[in-house]
Amino acid sequence: MTETTASPGTPGEARYLDVAAVSKSYRGTRVIEGLDFRVARGELVSLLGPSGCGKTTLLRLIAGLVDADDGAISIGGRNVTRTPAHRRNVSVVFQNYALFPHLNVADNVAFGLRARGREKTRIDGLVANALDLVRMAEFAARPVSALSGGQQQRVAVARALVVEPDLLLLVEPFSALDRKLRETMQVELKTLLRARGMTAIFVTHDQDEALAVSSRIAVMNRGRIEQFATPAELYARPATPFALEFVGLSTRLNGRVTAGGAGTVEVATAHGTLRAPGDLAAGTPVVVGVRPELIRLDRQGTGAEANVITARVADVMFVGSKTHLHGAAGEGDVILCELPGISETPPPGEDAQLAWSVGDTLLYERAA
Amino acid sequence: MRGALDRFALLATPGLAYLAIVYALPLMLLLAESLRDAEGVLSVRRYTEFFADSFNMTVFWRTLRVALMTTLLALVIAYPTAFALARARGWAQTAILVAMVLPLSVGVIVKAFAWSILFRSNGALNEFLQWIGLIERPIRLLFTETALVIGAANVFLPFMVLPIYAVVRQLDPALGAAAASLGATPWFRFFRVTLPLTLPGVVAGSAFVFSLAVSMYVIPSLIVGERQQTLSMLIARSFLFLRDEQLGSTISALLLVIAVAVVLGSSWLARRLGSRE
Repeated sequence: MTETTASPGTPGEARYLDVAAVSKSYRGTRVIEGLDFRVARGELVSLLGPSGCGKTTLLRLIAGLVDADDGAISIGGRNVTRTPAHRRNVSVVFQNYALFPHLNVADNVAFGLRARGREKTRIDGLVANALDLVRMAEFAARPVSALSGGQQQRVAVARALVVEPDLLLLVEPFSALDRKLRETMQVELKTLLRARGMTAIFVTHDQDEALAVSSRIAVMNRGRIEQFATPAELYARPATPFALEFVGLSTRLNGRVTAGGAGTVEVATAHGTLRAPGDLAAGTPVVVGVRPELIRLDRQGTGAEANVITARVADVMFVGSKTHLHGAAGEGDVILCELPGISETPPPGEDAQLAWSVGDTLLYERAA
Repeated sequence: MRGALDRFALLATPGLAYLAIVYALPLMLLLAESLRDAEGVLSVRRYTEFFADSFNMTVFWRTLRVALMTTLLALVIAYPTAFALARARGWAQTAILVAMVLPLSVGVIVKAFAWSILFRSNGALNEFLQWIGLIERPIRLLFTETALVIGAANVFLPFMVLPIYAVVRQLDPALGAAAASLGATPWFRFFRVTLPLTLPGVVAGSAFVFSLAVSMYVIPSLIVGERQQTLSMLIARSFLFLRDEQLGSTISALLLVIAVAVVLGSSWLARRLGSRE
């Protein structure tokens, strides 16, 4: 399955980090439910999900900041399930960076080395190297309160890396930065981590961030990992309706299977009968989905290999390199078509014929 | 900017005028009184006389010792309490706050008599200590310095808890988590992160409690009476019984110097600690 295949070009063992059947409850509420999660050495992965999905709890479990109720966690073959945070050798970069306000930049970076009782004579050199690495050497004597957001992030990264952790965890590391700086920092950090062969996990609710920094993305929902795959796989073949909805844009229609067989089923929806690849029995409630850029405007109607629906145009939005056409859809349905450049579309209020190939159609069983 | 600042400064006028007339002026008169000899000439004779007297010195050191011990005891109790208060939620937080503040509303005199029930030779504390076998016969607790320190710390506890609580509440929990993930043991985290960041609250609380404890009068009068005099009691005796205004003024001036030193020292310390942030 996807979780044991390292992404192309990833070195190292596939089970460098091994989270096995881990559960965690807070005051009787299950936050993490029998979760498995494996990361290869040197991989950069993201935990992506909405707030409350358990991604932060999973991170805290891996870091040792909370204890698992059940299951086991090992890092590099070392079982750390009951190891307290300060003996796990897992560094965390927090959302607000959590720099020590009473220490200057150099002392912040030196903190982990001092905590580990490294020789005083070596600490200065290591700190200087770490600050060089993030281009903050000239700020060594500054108080951290005098730094900008991007500079604080660099110091937090230097502080986390200088102790040579087995694993680096980052919580929404770019959310406090403005858009332009964010992109610069993403490239910078990714390059730095790759160069050092660091295994890192980004926790984020922002899919663009996950796509930008990671070679694989674990989509989390309600304390479970719904899918763990490369960005391309995740986008092209979402494993669940949640993954389809959470990552990227999509057209989604609720329906019910009317006829099955031969690897293709027919589904009755509010916008007509559609066909999709799959093997579900007649009567099964389903969601039919398709990525918006795979839909084309079709005035003439097309052949037998296509799904065609007619929808009233609700809105047309030109968003730079593409045009979004929103169709009027019923409760729970979304109709979105993405056309290249400035495309000719019927004006809002008129009907549009939308078509896509059956092979591009995604089919999911839906809880009735 | 400058103009706006001045106009706001005007708002302090009533307060300043009030303090000047009711606080500064009488204290200056007191100070002036202490610096005169019998002929009314400027002199520090009363001070040298005061410090030459061994009884006065005993009282002087006792006062400082009691104030210091009271501050330390209050600090030891208040520091963890402030954390409990800051971390507690809902009714638990309310309960701790009420428990802290409610005793303020009970007069010291009520407490003092309640303590005498606790501390007297056949009191609850002695009976308990005998029952667990720590002592064989009742020990004297009432009218001792220990009883005074315990009682005073109780009265002044809120003045220690609240400033520390205010600082602890500002403490970002992520700092502790970050320190732990960097390899810091709980002790290392406490001494290198928590303690330095809460020190301003400790300084402020200690300054409060020490200034209150060094000049307290009612509490020692009720708990230890004449047996263990403090500077405040000496002042009262000089004015009320000895009718020696100069002696009273001299001791008052001493207390004032101690109080001012504590306030200036602590605000300097707090600024120094704060400047590192």
